[in-house]
Amino acid sequence: MVAKDIEVAPIGFDFSNYARNEFLGQSLGGLPKATSTGTTIVGLKFGGGSSGEPEGVCLGADTRATAGPIVADKNCEKIHFLTPQIRCCGAGTAADTEFVTNLISSNLELHALSQGRQPRVVTAMTMLKQYLFRYQGHVGAHLVLGGVDSTGPHLFTVHAHGSTDKLPYVTMGSGSLAAMAVFESSYKENLTRAEAIALVARAIRSGIFNDLGSGSNVDVAVITKAGTEMLRNYEMPNERGVKSRNYKFRRGTTAFSKEYIRDLIVKEEVRSTSGAGKEQGPAVAVAVGEGMDVDP
Amino acid sequence: MAMHAERSAALHELTSAPIQHAFNPYEDNGGTILAIAGKDFSVIAGDTRQSQGYSIQTRYARKVWQLTDRAVLATNGFAADGNNFVKKVKQRLEWYEHAHHKQMPLKSIARMIQTILYGKRFFPYYVYNILGGIEEDGTGAVYSYDPVGTYERESCRAAGAAQSILQPFLDNQIYFKNQTPEPGAEPFIPGNLPLSTVLALVVDSFTSATERHIEVGDGLEVYVVMKKGRPTDDLVGEGKLAPGMAVEELDALGEGDGEKTFLVTRSLKRD
Amino acid sequence: MDALASSLSAPPRLTRDLNEDGDDAGSSAEWGSQGGFGNLHSGFVGGMTVPRTPDPAAFLNLHTDSMSSNPQAKIKLAHGTTTLAFRFKGGIIVAVDSRATAGSYIASGTVKKVIEINPYLLGTMAGGAADCQYWETYLGMQCRLHELRNKERISVAAASKILSNIVYQYKGMGLSMGTMICGWDKTGPALFYVDSEGQRLKGDLFSVGSGSTFAYGVLDQGYKFDLTDEEAQDLGRRSICAAGHRDAFSGNTINLYHVKEHGWDFIGNYDLSETWYEYTQKEKGDKMTRVEAPSPMAVEA
Repeated sequence: MVAKDIEVAPIGFDFSNYARNEFLGQSLGGLPKATSTGTTIVGLKFGGGSSGEPEGVCLGADTRATAGPIVADKNCEKIHFLTPQIRCCGAGTAADTEFVTNLISSNLELHALSQGRQPRVVTAMTMLKQYLFRYQGHVGAHLVLGGVDSTGPHLFTVHAHGSTDKLPYVTMGSGSLAAMAVFESSYKENLTRAEAIALVARAIRSGIFNDLGSGSNVDVAVITKAGTEMLRNYEMPNERGVKSRNYKFRRGTTAFSKEYIRDLIVKEEVRSTSGAGKEQGPAVAVAVGEGMDVDP
Repeated sequence: MAMHAERSAALHELTSAPIQHAFNPYEDNGGTILAIAGKDFSVIAGDTRQSQGYSIQTRYARKVWQLTDRAVLATNGFAADGNNFVKKVKQRLEWYEHAHHKQMPLKSIARMIQTILYGKRFFPYYVYNILGGIEEDGTGAVYSYDPVGTYERESCRAAGAAQSILQPFLDNQIYFKNQTPEPGAEPFIPGNLPLSTVLALVVDSFTSATERHIEVGDGLEVYVVMKKGRPTDDLVGEGKLAPGMAVEELDALGEGDGEKTFLVTRSLKRD
Repeated sequence: MDALASSLSAPPRLTRDLNEDGDDAGSSAEWGSQGGFGNLHSGFVGGMTVPRTPDPAAFLNLHTDSMSSNPQAKIKLAHGTTTLAFRFKGGIIVAVDSRATAGSYIASGTVKKVIEINPYLLGTMAGGAADCQYWETYLGMQCRLHELRNKERISVAAASKILSNIVYQYKGMGLSMGTMICGWDKTGPALFYVDSEGQRLKGDLFSVGSGSTFAYGVLDQGYKFDLTDEEAQDLGRRSICAAGHRDAFSGNTINLYHVKEHGWDFIGNYDLSETWYEYTQKEKGDKMTRVEAPSPMAVEA
């Protein structure tokens, strides 16, 4: 009764075009596809215990971005920066993973500045899940979040609807089953750093070769207390060979019906206008070049 | 009580809405096929990946089939329909051979494929076919079909997942579309390219489609059918093929009239 | 012989029971030589495989897209067209484009949309390409049988009626064709429009397909019965050219035929963009003229 009088500012997405878009989608046979990173992303915790090495988190991703069945980008970056010690792999709608990680990265930096200390991985995880839950899955970001903070190494998955998991080894994306098969058969606690990198690369390769949505190269990030190492294109198992033929065209191959050359260099004329009513001197022409020579 | 009635009405509305049980026998198994006709040869190619959604069913499934000593058929679309279709075509060809003591000519196979496809006009084979081979006059030929049997003889044709990537490339390289000859030079004449050029175009077509289409890859099979008496050294001669490619001559299926069929294979990227 | 011929001439029957269960026999719809022994014994063109669903036409509608009305369907059938034919004192002009589209994709630019039924009869192709190609080829067989039985050529009226009767039996099953049967018989040049809805019309001038309105615009403006051969051929060519220019589903090349007393002549195949260029540009020589650039901008003239 009272609540009726309170005007609520519109928050979140505007759905007023939903019905229209649905109709357009039907009459056009599908709406334009958003680039989605049909993806394999993985992460695992390593070190400590019997390994005798410092604890850390190792993240991995493939580099293929697709639009339907077409490869949109053969070497995109799916391991996003959040803070110097926290990284986030993204699967799902490419634009959403890009913007949500950028936004949270900014907020984490502000958080660090106001608190005077480095943010924790749980903080990043909480900010991400609260943001994603607010949008009820319409922000299509499926994430693997990993990093090292004052409390040690942490690894999470964050789903688009806002649910999270905390696990020692995780996979996400369309290639998650292929990658998880590798983890389930080979993961052990307290891997060495080198073993961890090798296992992550193997899991990503499994996604690259067995999942059509994943492909091209392996990106790896290793985060320990000492710092973060980005191993961009750690493996490149899918380089394109040389083409059999040369497809250079003879100059003049493309026919044209008319030629039009526009002079971009403008001739300026400066005329003094100061002193209204005064007699004005003759115009002074300032030529700026005399037109370009054109290739014959 | 009123609320209960309302709710049950709503529930009833939900459950009484028509539920359509559609008969859905079709599937898309990806992959791409391609054929180019030369003056005295014909090249028919296909990749060997068979997929369903984001999964690879097999990295080697045959899509190109030797029918006779002068005919090769490539199928694409729904693999189960394709395999059954080829089986039926081969059976009809065998019957013909028993009756006439010769293999069916290419143009007759072409017409027969139309009638088999059209026989299922109301329950179509979800298959795009390309037939390649040598005509009775010795010329290289390519016939392409839609799923219900429309057909046409052409110089080249791509079909399947990467059709819209490859056909514009072939239009440019085979039909010389959007290319003007050098001033004073002879006009381009389509259909006269040498075998080495055609083979290189086929390989580049498939490596490029593999780069940009997720359903194309794993392996490439290229069938080359040559007119009888045509020299074969431009295919089997030393150093004629690029590294990584292999060629074998296939045995004659019939009496052996002199046409030769070769199978050129090559691997494609597996990601 | 007569029994054999009459069994062949019986129209196709639409019977669900004709479904073939085995893969062995091959549908008798495949009227080509069956195993070389001929399929003359099997008679009618029945045996079209039909899906075992309550409503086969709905099944076909769900899975095929023949007129871009169902773009998400997997099976795309080639279509999209401009065709025309008109009668004049010198016979009949038949002109068509050569484009086949599947959705927004140009599936082919080299389609033969004039079907040469026999040396005296032409059929045009609009709607489902396979329906036109298959049934007009079949019509060719029936026309030949008519000749053998009656020792004279079939009239255009009778030929077109055979076709009309066949497709009428399949009405509602999803066939799609709009065709013109053109020929010269005892009555002189004759032209019939036949479509898959069962319509059959005799007339002097028809245009069929997505580009037909554009073609009619040019055609009606220039049509007279007393046209000379050259004028008539040019009118046909010009009409398809206009349609191909304005209709996205028509284009590529023009195929032109002229039906005369001795049968049809193929006049030629013309590239549509070149033809359009010739029609719109007065002089052909000015293809490469250099246009003087307008004078550069000046601040305060």
